[in-house]
Amino acid sequence: MKTKFTTKAIACILFCISLVSCTEPYQIQTNTFEDALVVEATITNELKTQQIKISRTYQFEENGPTMETGADVYITDNLGNRYDFTEQNGVYVSTVQFQAVPNVNYQLFITTASGNEYASNIQRMTTANQISSIDTDIVTKDSERGVQISVNSSDPTNTSKFYRYEYEETYKVVVPKWSNYKAYLLNPRTVSYMERGYESKTCFKTNKSDTFLLTNTTDLMEDLVYKFPIRFIGDREYMLSERYSILVRQFVISQQAYEYYKTIKALSDSGELLSPNQPGFVMGNIKSLTNPKEKIIGFFDVCSASEKRIFFNYGDVFPNEPIPQFFMDCPEESLDAGDFRTNPLGDGFKLISYVQSGQKVFYDFIYNPLSETHPIYVMVPAACGDCTTFASNVVPPFWQ
Amino acid sequence: MQLKTTLSNPMKKILITLLVVFLHQISIAQVKGKKYSFTFNNVSLEKAIETIEKDSGYQFYFDKDWFKNYPDPITANFNDSTLESVLNDLFQNTSLNFYMSDEKIILTKNSVIYDKLPENYFNTEKNKPQNSAVVFQGSPVFEKEHNDGNIENENTISFVGKENKVSTGKTFELTGYVKDAKTGKPVADVIIRTKNNEATAITDQQGFYSIKLPIGINTIETENFLFRKVIRKVMMYSNGKMDLTVSENINQLKEVIVKGKKSETVKSANTGVTSINIEGLKNIPMVLGERDILKVATTIPGIKTAGEGSSGFNVRGGKTDQNLILLDNAVIYNPAHFFGFFSAINPFTIGSADIYKGSIPVEFGGRLSSVFDITTKNGNTSKLSGEGGIGPVTSNITVSTPIVKEKSSLLIGARATYSDWILKTLDEKSLKNSKASFYDGVVKYSHKINDNNDIEATGYYSHDAFSVSSDSLYKYSNRLFSLKWNHAFSIKHKAALLLSNSQYKFNIDYENENNMTKSFDFGYKIDENQVQLKFNYTLNDKHKISYGIASKLYKINPGYLNPIGQESLLTPVTIEKEKAIESGIYLSDSYKVSEKLLINAGLRYSFYAALGSSTQRVYQNDAPMTDATVTETKEFGNNKVIKTYSGFEPRISARFFITEDLSVKASYDKTYQYLHLLSSNTTQSPTDTWKLSDLNIAPQNADQYSLGFYKNFAEKDFEVSLEGYTKRINNILDYRVGAELLLNENIETELLKGKGKAYGIEFLIKKQSGKLNGWLGYTYSRTFIKLDSKFDSDKVNNGDYFPANYDKPHDLSAVLNYKFTKRYSLSTNFIYQTGRPITYPIGKYTYGNAEYTLYSDRNKFRIPDYYRLDIGVNIEGNHKIKKLAHSFWNISIYNVLGRNNPYSVFFVTKDGEVKAYKTSIFSVPVPTITYNFKF
Repeated sequence: MKTKFTTKAIACILFCISLVSCTEPYQIQTNTFEDALVVEATITNELKTQQIKISRTYQFEENGPTMETGADVYITDNLGNRYDFTEQNGVYVSTVQFQAVPNVNYQLFITTASGNEYASNIQRMTTANQISSIDTDIVTKDSERGVQISVNSSDPTNTSKFYRYEYEETYKVVVPKWSNYKAYLLNPRTVSYMERGYESKTCFKTNKSDTFLLTNTTDLMEDLVYKFPIRFIGDREYMLSERYSILVRQFVISQQAYEYYKTIKALSDSGELLSPNQPGFVMGNIKSLTNPKEKIIGFFDVCSASEKRIFFNYGDVFPNEPIPQFFMDCPEESLDAGDFRTNPLGDGFKLISYVQSGQKVFYDFIYNPLSETHPIYVMVPAACGDCTTFASNVVPPFWQ
Repeated sequence: MQLKTTLSNPMKKILITLLVVFLHQISIAQVKGKKYSFTFNNVSLEKAIETIEKDSGYQFYFDKDWFKNYPDPITANFNDSTLESVLNDLFQNTSLNFYMSDEKIILTKNSVIYDKLPENYFNTEKNKPQNSAVVFQGSPVFEKEHNDGNIENENTISFVGKENKVSTGKTFELTGYVKDAKTGKPVADVIIRTKNNEATAITDQQGFYSIKLPIGINTIETENFLFRKVIRKVMMYSNGKMDLTVSENINQLKEVIVKGKKSETVKSANTGVTSINIEGLKNIPMVLGERDILKVATTIPGIKTAGEGSSGFNVRGGKTDQNLILLDNAVIYNPAHFFGFFSAINPFTIGSADIYKGSIPVEFGGRLSSVFDITTKNGNTSKLSGEGGIGPVTSNITVSTPIVKEKSSLLIGARATYSDWILKTLDEKSLKNSKASFYDGVVKYSHKINDNNDIEATGYYSHDAFSVSSDSLYKYSNRLFSLKWNHAFSIKHKAALLLSNSQYKFNIDYENENNMTKSFDFGYKIDENQVQLKFNYTLNDKHKISYGIASKLYKINPGYLNPIGQESLLTPVTIEKEKAIESGIYLSDSYKVSEKLLINAGLRYSFYAALGSSTQRVYQNDAPMTDATVTETKEFGNNKVIKTYSGFEPRISARFFITEDLSVKASYDKTYQYLHLLSSNTTQSPTDTWKLSDLNIAPQNADQYSLGFYKNFAEKDFEVSLEGYTKRINNILDYRVGAELLLNENIETELLKGKGKAYGIEFLIKKQSGKLNGWLGYTYSRTFIKLDSKFDSDKVNNGDYFPANYDKPHDLSAVLNYKFTKRYSLSTNFIYQTGRPITYPIGKYTYGNAEYTLYSDRNKFRIPDYYRLDIGVNIEGNHKIKKLAHSFWNISIYNVLGRNNPYSVFFVTKDGEVKAYKTSIFSVPVPTITYNFKF
C-alpha cells in the first residue's frame, strides 16, 4: 500500500511537471446537503386531468427523490376559478378536468404539510400551435448511419417562438428463441416444464425522453420549426426491426421557461472541451411566501401542447436492407437435468439456479441418451425467450 | 591578528566586508580623544602605517597591494594629533579610507564607513539637499579582477539603496559632492548625467549635485573639460548618496554598496506601490528552479493568485483582467507559462519591476486595479557579459554585447523548457502522449544618439504548447514590440515617444483519431498598437509636472472554428472581428507644499470608441438581454463609430510626515477599463478571451481610497507599514449560470453586470539587511460581488453581495533569508491563505425523467485552506578572482510539508450520476537544483 502510494506520488509529480496537475476523484461532502422543493408543473390547453409533480431534493448517496406528500396544491385564474389538486400515487392531479385557455392569468399555489407557502409568478398560455409533420430521414451522425426523426411546425402568427419537445417511443419486440413452454421447479432437485399461459413472444417497449429538447425561432424571419431533431436511432438498432412508433409532444413555451430549461440542460452537460460552465442555482418562477431566500426548483409552465404519432417499419425507412438482429446474442446452453456432480458443478445445479433466478429461460429440450427421466434442457438468456422480462406484453391502445 | 596582510586578497576582502557589515554600528567616539606624535621621513605609506600601528597599539587591517598605487615617499610631522587627523592627512591623496573601532583600524579602498546619521540629516534649510540617505560603503559583491587602481573600470556597479526594500517611486535621488581629488575642494559646474541623458544635474558652488535616476542600473558620467570624465554604473535601490572625486589621475571607485538608511516608502506620496528587487529574487525558494518576478509579487500583501496553476493576479479585490502588465511599455496579455507555474518574463533580462496597487500614475490607464511596470535592462555598452541558469525543467541565458562601444548595446535573453524531452524518455504510458513545451525570448537594443537623444527598442515573444489529453493541443503566444525615443529639450524638460504593438493569441487543435468527425481548429487573437507621448517638466523645486497623450487601437479576432480533415462534420464558424480605439490625455503635478507635506495630483481623461464594421443588436429596455428580446439589429460600416465611452480619472495622493520617520499617506484613484476578460473558469486560463466594450457592454470603472502609515526603525533596520483600502467597482462582468463564452456571437446575452466592493488591511514588516532579513506580510481582505437586476433571470444569489471567486480573507506570506556566511544562505517562504470560495453541489433532484444536480448559492462554500512552506539554499561559487564566470547553486524544496492543497474541486454529471474531482498541484515536496552563472 505504501509503495503503491509512493509510486502514485512519483507518477503524480511527473504528471504535474508535464501537465499541470493531478486530478483525482473526490468524495463529495454531504453535510452541505440542502433540502429543497422541486415542482414540475406543466399545465396545457388539453382538456384533461392536469398533473403536478412535487418532490424534494435528495442526497448524493440516495437513489431517488421522495415525493412531497400532504401538500395543498391549487391553481387560480383571474376569472375566479380555482382548480384543486389531490395526491394520487405521489403525483398531484386535478380534481376536475380542465384546460388552459388564452388570455387568462394562472397562478400556482402550494402549501406544504409543514405549512410553508409557495406561489408562482402569473403565467399565461402560449400560442396554440400544431405539429405539422414528423419526418424520418436517413442521416449519418457521429459517423453512425441511422434514422433521424425530426419535427416540423409553423406558426403563421409568428408568436410561438419557443418550443419544447418530449417524445415517447414504443416499439414491438419479438423474441427470437421463444417457446410456448417454461421450465419450473417440480421439487428442489427436479426441473420440469409447462405451458406458459401468457403472452411472452411479442411485447411492446416504451421509452420516454429524458432531456429537454428545446428550440427557438427568434433568429428566423418566419416562426418555422423545420426538421428539428427529436430522436436519432442507428440503422443497426433492434428497436426498428419489428415496428416502431413515436409520439412527439410539442409545447409552445414562454421565453422564461425556455431560458430556465436551457440553463438546467447546459449545467448538466458540463465537462465539455470548449465550454466549462459556471455552476450555480437557477431560479425558476416559483417563490416561497414564507422565506424569500428559500430555493425552489422548477417552473410553473402554462403552455399550448400538441402531439403527433407516427409508425414505421424498418423497410419503410431502409428499403431492401437487412433487418437488424435482436439486440443481444442468444446462445443456447444445453444442460443435462440429471447431472448433479459436484466437481465440476453438474448441469443440474446450473439448471436449477437458472430457473430459480430467471436468468435463463427454457427454449427446447432434447432426448438425453443417459437418462430417461432427465432430458437435456436447452436454455437461452431470459430476454431471448421471454419478452416480459424487459417489456410489456400488453398491446398499447394506440398500436396499429 | 593573524589575518593581517598575510591573507590572500579575496579572503581579505570577504573578511573586511563581513567586518564592515557586522561592526559598522559600533561607536568610534571613544578612540577619537587620544593624541599621538609621529615623524615620517621619506618612508613608504605602508611603512608609515606600520609605524603608527606599533606606536598606537591599534591593529590595522588592509591589503598590501593597495599601497602599490602610492609609491611616493611620505615626509610629514605630526604633533599631538589625533589618530584620525593623522590618517586623514596620510590618505589625502589616495583612495584609501579608514574606519576605527576599539583597537582596530580597518582600511578600505574608496569606501567610507559611516556609522551614524549626518548631522544635517533632517535639515530643513532651504538649499540643503535631502540627505535622507546615509552612505554605507562596503566591499564588492562580485569583485572584478583587481586592476591597477588607476584604470577606469566602469563595468563595476555601485549599488545605491537598500536591496531588499519595497521601494515606491520609479526614480530615486542620488546626491553627493564632487571633489577635486588633489585639493579636496568641491568642484562646481560639473555636469552629472546618465548615459542615455534622461537625467542631468550640475554641481553647485559647494560641489553638491542631486540627480533623479530611475530604479535599476544607471550609468552616470561627469563632464567638465577641466577634469577627466568619470563613468560609474549605479544600481539604484532607493535614494542614496555617492560622492565623486574628479582629477586628472582619478582612482576609480570599485563596486560600492550604498544602502539608504531611510526608506523611500516613508517619503513618497504614493500608497500601494511596490518595487520588486530583481537581485533579491535569487534569495527566494523556487519551484522547478525558476526565479520569478511575478511569483515574488504574490508574496506582497494585496496581490494574490487563485492558486498554483492559475495565471493572473487579483490585486486588492480586482479581477484578473484588471492588471496592466507592461514590458517596456507594451502590454503582455498573458505573462504566464504553463498556466502560471512560470512567469513568461525571463528574470535575467529584467532591470526593474514596479507594481502599483494604488496611486496608479496618470500616465497609465486602461486597467482598474494595478499596473505591473516591468522594464528590461539595458545591455552592457562596454563588454560582452551574460548570465544564465540551468535547472531541471528549464534553462535560460542572457547575453549582452556592445554594438558601438559606449553608445549602443544589444541584450538577448532566451529561455526554454526541455520537459517534452523528459516526458518522452519516461516509461509511463499515460505520459507518453502528453506534451508541454514553452519558450520565450527578449531582444533589447539601446542606443545613445547624443547627449539629448537615445533610443531603446524591445522585441519579445513567448510561446506555449501543451496537451491535456492526447487528442487536443493547446497553443498560445504573446508577441510584443516597443520602441522608445527619449529626448531632452533641456535639463528640466524631457520627452519620450513610445510606440508599441502587442499580440496575444491562442489556438486549440482537436483531433480525435477515433472520431475524426469532430476534429477542429479553434483560434483567438487580440492585437493592439499604441502610440504615446510623455513629457516631464520640472517647474521648480516645488512643482514637478508630467503630462502626455496616448492612443491605442485594438483589433480582436474573437474566434474561429474550422473543421480539420475531410471527415470532420463540423461547420466552420467565424465570429465577427472587433475594433476599437482608446485614448488618454493626462496631467499631473507633484507639489511639495512643505517639507512635511507632499501632494501628487493628477487627472487623466480617457476616451473610447468602438468601431465597425460590426453588427450590433439592440435589446428591449425592459427585459433581460436574450435572443428573444432583440428589437433591432444595427449594421455599422468599417471604422464607423458604434458607441463611445469616456471618463475623467482623478488620482490624488498625499504624504505627511508626522515625525521624522513616521508618515501618513492617503490616496484616491479612479480608473476606467474598456476591455474585459471573459472567463468562465474560476481562474484565469489561456483560453479566456478579451472582449471590447460595445453597444451592449459598458466599460468597468473603479474608485479606490487608501490610507497608510509607514514607519522606519532606523537603528533596527526595520520598516513597518500598515495600509488600508476600500474599493468600489462598477459594471463588473459576470456570467449567467451555464454561460457559453466561446464562439458566441451574442456574448452579451450570457453576461451579467454587477458591482464589486472590496476592502482590506495590509500589514508589512521588513528587515532589509543583516544576517536575517526578509519580510512578513499579512492581509485581511474581503471582496464581494453583487449581481442584481429587476429580472430574476439576471440575479445571482438573490441579488445580494456574495464573495468573489478570489475572496481569501486571511493571507500571510513570510519570506525570510538567513546568511550563514558570504557563500551560504538559507531562504524560506511560507504562505497561508484561506481557501477559495466555490459553488458546491448540494443535492440531486429529478425533473423531466432525468436526474440533475442542485448547486448551492454561488461561492457559498470554500475549498480547504492553502498553506505551503518552501526552503532554498543558495551556495555562491568561490570568490577566486581569476575566474571565467561567477556562479551560484540553488537547491530548493517546494512544498516541504507536502501539503495536498486542493486547487479546484469540480463536478461532472455523467450517466445520470454526479462525480466530484479534486485537482491538486504539487501535493508532495518538489526538490530542485539549479546552477546559475554570470560572466
